[in-house]
Amino acid sequence: MGPFLALLCVIAFFAVADRLQADGGRFFSFHNAQNVVVQSATVAVASLGMTVIIISGGIDLSAGTGLGLCAVVLAWFLHKDYPPWMAASAGILTGCLTGLVNGLLVTLLRVVPFIVTLGTMTIFLGLSKLISESITIRPKPDQVPDWMEQLLNPRIANSWMLFPPGVWILLLLAVMVILILQWTVLGRHIKAIGDNEQAARLSGIRISTTRIIVYTMAGFTVGVAGLFLFVRLSSANPTSGTGKELLVIASVIIGGASLNGGRGSIVGTLTGALIMQVISNGCTALRLKDPIQEIIIGTIIVTAVTVDQLRQRGKG
Amino acid sequence: MYARRLKSYDFGYVLFLLTIAAFTGCGSNSAKSPEANSSTGEGDGHYRIAVIPMATTDIFWTSVQAGAQQASEEAGNVKIYWNGPLTMNDREGQVNIVQNYVTQQVDGLVLAPIDRTALVPYVADAKRAGIPTVVIDSDLDSDENIVSFVATDNYHGGELGARKLAELLGGSGNVILLRYTVGQESAAQREQGFLDTMQKEFPDINILSDDQYSGPTEEDSYNKSMDLLIQFGDRVDGFFVICNRTAAGLLQALEQEGLTEKITLVGFDASPHLIQAIREGKIRAMVMQDPFTIGYLGVKTMLAHLRGEPVKRRVNTGEYVVTRENVDTPEIQRILAPMNK
Repeated sequence: MGPFLALLCVIAFFAVADRLQADGGRFFSFHNAQNVVVQSATVAVASLGMTVIIISGGIDLSAGTGLGLCAVVLAWFLHKDYPPWMAASAGILTGCLTGLVNGLLVTLLRVVPFIVTLGTMTIFLGLSKLISESITIRPKPDQVPDWMEQLLNPRIANSWMLFPPGVWILLLLAVMVILILQWTVLGRHIKAIGDNEQAARLSGIRISTTRIIVYTMAGFTVGVAGLFLFVRLSSANPTSGTGKELLVIASVIIGGASLNGGRGSIVGTLTGALIMQVISNGCTALRLKDPIQEIIIGTIIVTAVTVDQLRQRGKG
Repeated sequence: MYARRLKSYDFGYVLFLLTIAAFTGCGSNSAKSPEANSSTGEGDGHYRIAVIPMATTDIFWTSVQAGAQQASEEAGNVKIYWNGPLTMNDREGQVNIVQNYVTQQVDGLVLAPIDRTALVPYVADAKRAGIPTVVIDSDLDSDENIVSFVATDNYHGGELGARKLAELLGGSGNVILLRYTVGQESAAQREQGFLDTMQKEFPDINILSDDQYSGPTEEDSYNKSMDLLIQFGDRVDGFFVICNRTAAGLLQALEQEGLTEKITLVGFDASPHLIQAIREGKIRAMVMQDPFTIGYLGVKTMLAHLRGEPVKRRVNTGEYVVTRENVDTPEIQRILAPMNK
């Protein structure tokens, strides 16, 4: 409930402030809502997987460059005239592989995820640069199919859909992750590991297998995020994912997850991603400069974590 | 055991790694060390010249590289080292690269500084180490330690853009200047040239917004453009942007909003993608520099200096206005050729 209230407050604040300025009134419109939702979709879809990782007590710093790599792979396949379905599959498969590699390294080397993924973060950036020869890959217009162009186009052809197909894919994935977390044995194991790894091990949960599944699942969402990143510009740059991991982690944390593991909410995470995008969009509406946006978003992250800790203490 | 051991070391590890990351910039932008070549040097007429662009991931710099390569091939006894940061806002990355080449004792630096102030002390360091610097593309605050400045007249480019946009709008209307990023001299010059000219020469043109920055990547620009179009889309008649990535992001936003007909976009710097948009009339005009000549004359000027010949302190490489009408003329095609490779 917390993050959702925060989102409403943020929207209300900008709606009022925008209405009060001389030529305002455009912030609180459906047109702008479509815009904000589409802008946050890339980070939001990757943050689904990140939520699961964080619930299991892990972290993935490679998500940003990982999704950049997926976009580059996808663009490379299109550019080389492979059929679009193959390019999209290659991109998403690359995402699964990045997750699998992270999961294997974390379990086999017994190194903490923070360090493993700090390393793979740089490895994935290097791979992106190799594949793209360090420049932007831009497939020709006839190599990019219509469905990709429409996937996250805020001006959708069928108005009854309200939002472009990519947003519905995001929501579908979110529902699937919620079902896995709530209703499956795997979901309970993930929470148990994040809560208390020792206890989980003693109660017979196969920790390594579960971890590898968690990271691979997250890798899949990173692959979808790579697809989203590509379709918005119909091009891919090896650096375009850099730094996105911090937005992804921030969404999860603003959404009420605990970095100590054991707790996190998919709905909260999606709300967290929206909050950051609404602030960025609202600041432009109010003609505030970028530094102000950055300060506000930083303040909200610290506030969210503080509130989280207070809540924890209240329980304890 | 395993879990408990990790918990206690966790925090130390994290701090340790963050420190390393802070010092190395996460290792993402350290310079590749040029292969050591002990037998080359001024003595036997061989020169090693490091050309350091603002970014390696951009078509503009690919053309600069082609020009530098051409100059070295013509000279015959020159080896070009080409290395730069990945993105145009990575100041530390560029500083590291400059320092590495100074350590490698190259014979000369041809540098396109990302930041007008941040690079000044490092150019001074290079001079103390006996390595001359030719600055290309974007100026430094202090020119006391540089041999020459080889670049477009960016202020004049901004003036040309303002006049073209005003002409296309028939002398009146609402326009937006979408800026690039903070602190980069060539960008600031173009923006200033544009604003000054609009104010002085076109009283009926109203500047709706000139305080928003697109950011360094195409995606940043796309997001910012969507936000701006929602605010101003129904009132704005024209846009001026000063970089090809800003233009690409804005173009994507205009296409999605169906506004390419209604809104007149004048850009700065080309790419094959943007030239296509010029042909289709989605971008109405573009101020174009001559990046090939910037790279070519940058290296040429450095070579002349190394051979002890006198060089000009300021070398102008020219600026042009491209439209659908003149895009196929030989003059414009000559500039575009290196990009189409």
